[in-house]
Amino acid sequence: MQSLRRPQTFKRFASITQDPLLTLALVLVVLFVAITIVFPLLSMIGEGFSPKGLPLFQRYLSDPVHLSIVTNTLVMGALVGLFGTAVGFLFAFVQVRLNVPFKRFMHIVALIPVISPPFAVATAVIVLFGRSGSISRGIFGVRYDIYGLDGLTLVMSLSFFTVAYLNLSGMMRALDPALDEAATNLGANKWRIFRTVTLPMLLPGIASSFLLLFVEAVADLGNPLVLGGNYEVLSTRIYITVIGLYDTTGAAVLSLILLVPSLTVFIVQRYWISRTSVVSVTGKPSGTPQMMNHPLVRWPLFGLTIAICLLILLIYGTIIHGAFIRVPGVRYDFTLEHFDFVLNGIGAQAMQDTTLLSILATPLAGLIGMVIAYLVVRKTFAGRSLLDFSTMLGIAVPGTVIGIGYVLSFNHPTTLTLPVLGEVTLLPQLTGGRGLLGGALAIIVVFIIRSVPAALRSGTAALSQIDPAIEEASISLGADNARTFRRITLPLIRPAFLAGLIYAFARSMTTISAVVFLTTPQTKIMTQQILNEVEHGRYGNAFAYCVVLIVIVMVAISIMYVTVGSTTGAERRLEGGL
Amino acid sequence: MSQNNPEIRLKLENITKEFPDRGGSGTVKAVNNISLDICAGEFLTLLGPSGCGKTTTLRLIAGFESPTTGRILLDNQDVTPQPPNKRDMALVFQNYALFPHMSVFDNIAYGLQTQRVKRQDIQRRVNEALLMMGLQGLGDRRPNQLSGGQQQRVALARSLVVEPRILLFDEPLSNLDAKLRVQMRGEIHRLQRRLRITSVYVTHDQIEAMALSDRIVVMNAGKIEQIGTPSDIYHRPATRFVADFIGRANFVDVTVLSESAAGVEVEIFKRRITVASSVRRDGAPLVAMLRSESLTLRHDPALPQVLVEQTMFLGSEVEYIVNTGSQQLVVVEQDPRGVHVVAEGETIGLDFVPEAVHLLPA
Repeated sequence: MQSLRRPQTFKRFASITQDPLLTLALVLVVLFVAITIVFPLLSMIGEGFSPKGLPLFQRYLSDPVHLSIVTNTLVMGALVGLFGTAVGFLFAFVQVRLNVPFKRFMHIVALIPVISPPFAVATAVIVLFGRSGSISRGIFGVRYDIYGLDGLTLVMSLSFFTVAYLNLSGMMRALDPALDEAATNLGANKWRIFRTVTLPMLLPGIASSFLLLFVEAVADLGNPLVLGGNYEVLSTRIYITVIGLYDTTGAAVLSLILLVPSLTVFIVQRYWISRTSVVSVTGKPSGTPQMMNHPLVRWPLFGLTIAICLLILLIYGTIIHGAFIRVPGVRYDFTLEHFDFVLNGIGAQAMQDTTLLSILATPLAGLIGMVIAYLVVRKTFAGRSLLDFSTMLGIAVPGTVIGIGYVLSFNHPTTLTLPVLGEVTLLPQLTGGRGLLGGALAIIVVFIIRSVPAALRSGTAALSQIDPAIEEASISLGADNARTFRRITLPLIRPAFLAGLIYAFARSMTTISAVVFLTTPQTKIMTQQILNEVEHGRYGNAFAYCVVLIVIVMVAISIMYVTVGSTTGAERRLEGGL
Repeated sequence: MSQNNPEIRLKLENITKEFPDRGGSGTVKAVNNISLDICAGEFLTLLGPSGCGKTTTLRLIAGFESPTTGRILLDNQDVTPQPPNKRDMALVFQNYALFPHMSVFDNIAYGLQTQRVKRQDIQRRVNEALLMMGLQGLGDRRPNQLSGGQQQRVALARSLVVEPRILLFDEPLSNLDAKLRVQMRGEIHRLQRRLRITSVYVTHDQIEAMALSDRIVVMNAGKIEQIGTPSDIYHRPATRFVADFIGRANFVDVTVLSESAAGVEVEIFKRRITVASSVRRDGAPLVAMLRSESLTLRHDPALPQVLVEQTMFLGSEVEYIVNTGSQQLVVVEQDPRGVHVVAEGETIGLDFVPEAVHLLPA
């Protein structure tokens, strides 16, 4: 009667293959990730280490010009990480620990940069603080050179700090107030508590925010292109190497160099810092944190935060205002010609294409993210963490690098030479004007892989908070895995699903670095058009594009809220039910 | 033990479950070669300390884990390869595992909908279940609007309504406060005796096990220590582990004087008694088990004298820790009303009921 002993891995695989639908889902997502993320990266690495690429490594790494580009990139990443985290911490601290007015206002202002198109903030800063800026020259009468490291640090810190803010405010809320009370009870004053209890507990969150912002900064293309000036970084160099020099091998080598700090920092952030955290963000506030009420703490911090809020509003005001005036910063008469250009002129196609492609990519990204999250959190199978890691590469790898990988992999049909059948075409050409659907498919896929990681993370976080027994109860009552996922899991992680959708749509509409190499005459992308207008100094058109883009994103978010449901309701239900 | 015994609803045959070792390449045997028959209509409890393998055994039966070796037969049919949703069983979870986004009605209807029962039949059966569990009028509520006891009733109703061949319970009362636990224990008992639904119940609470079960399986370290009725397990534990785990047991060294068909003649507390014992001695030393309530303290100089080291008044009883000079014993006096409570430091005589002496391999 004894069945044969089988190795454990086979046994565990057996449990997932018991359900054909689950197996199919697993096979599909694995294939998807392998083809759209792993394969392009491998092609890029292959190209970098090819006989053509290897000598370039030596050249780049011994040549002072290229070395300074590498240094520039790292310095910029570090500064943005530092300042962005500081601003995020300030906003979080004021929000959670200070008893001050206008908290709601500050929260909303802090969220605004999430839906900002690239270039928008940079261009507005040029208009405000540049050589002929309306503030720098108009008010203070200086011809300030905003181009370079200072401008980049300012713009990127303001554009990216939201991540740090959300991360740290979540952590601060999750800090158990009982710890503060215990410290007070032991005779510590508030400053001492902050120094010896609060700050050490938040340290992993601070480190993690710094690293996230670092990765985001070194990967960014839009801001350095517009605002870099002579300050060249790797991403702009890669862009120029492809667009100006048509040198994909050189670009692949530079991409590999850029990959080293990006991936190192990503891995450190994800697999080390996040594990050392002693605070678990559960979403359940564990009590009311003690407020800092000392006026010397309260009012300076409040004033600083309000000042930053006003700066952000000023920048966004400039964007909106600039879209309605003849020449921003120069001629202030009202006009609708920029909007005419965007909505009826050459810009209309880009707007329609980008919106359509984003609409197609969004639900797919959300669903793929949830399915991978479900498989990774709930099922055991060989290569589980590899699937998670490979999916995360979609965002950990800088967009320019992904773009190069796509150009290298899909600018020709993918073929395989088999012994008997000869050459077999596995995939048609995807990118470029002769690519499938005018290159549109490749763009959709890039939109998806850039958004899936966020959906995966929010899905994973939501799933790990749901008692697996709830799903087991469904199965125990006779439902199969598919029905359980549809009727139980998906409704319960609906807030995470919605967050994934919103992120995916906003990300797709505003992304530039990955798709800049993939747009074709048939398929135009708005961000690319904005870049075009900025480069030609037509700031009015660029601002009009940005305004239209922001409106589209906000409308889409409202529609998603209505159709997918409010985030809070489901959460509250979940908390009460457990 | 015949394969075709129609009475046997569930049969576990040489079940072993290994899990990969924490951090290592080796494996841990959570369940180690157990075999078990469960009869139709029986209420069987798996009892043991945490980590003894009882929950793993239940999850193996439910199908959430698959055994490394061995077979599981439901009504003589091998269900080992079947996924849990194909097994005609329903599990009541420790945390109730109610669907938080559904109403009470929808929670209970869920299994019936899965079985594609007709809409009006669902309506009727769910309403019957609500009535049976005393939940009438609460069908529209969400689980989080119910008290803990009501949530547990919904969980029970949800599992009962699908009329499974076996009902499985995974420590269902451990999340309730003490009073509610006693009340729900009574309800489960009444319900099971009325419906006679075959049940496998996991708990670490010996009182719960004894109150509910037809038979108890005591598990330890992945193995079955003993299977028996509550009274068997309590009065005639097979091993020292069982005796120690259930109730309050004192172990007293005995001197074996003789063995005969009538039993074993031993000397204990300076008295010679003959104990009917099935323990095959074969020369190995024996130990006597005496329940705390089988011991009494009396002022009698003829009895062996003990020193009272600790006295604890517990309301319905008094618990003493006494020292015989060679070992400590726990003595419990029931219903101490009007009886003289012995003070700490007093010396007093120790008496016992000879019939309560049970012999175990030392």
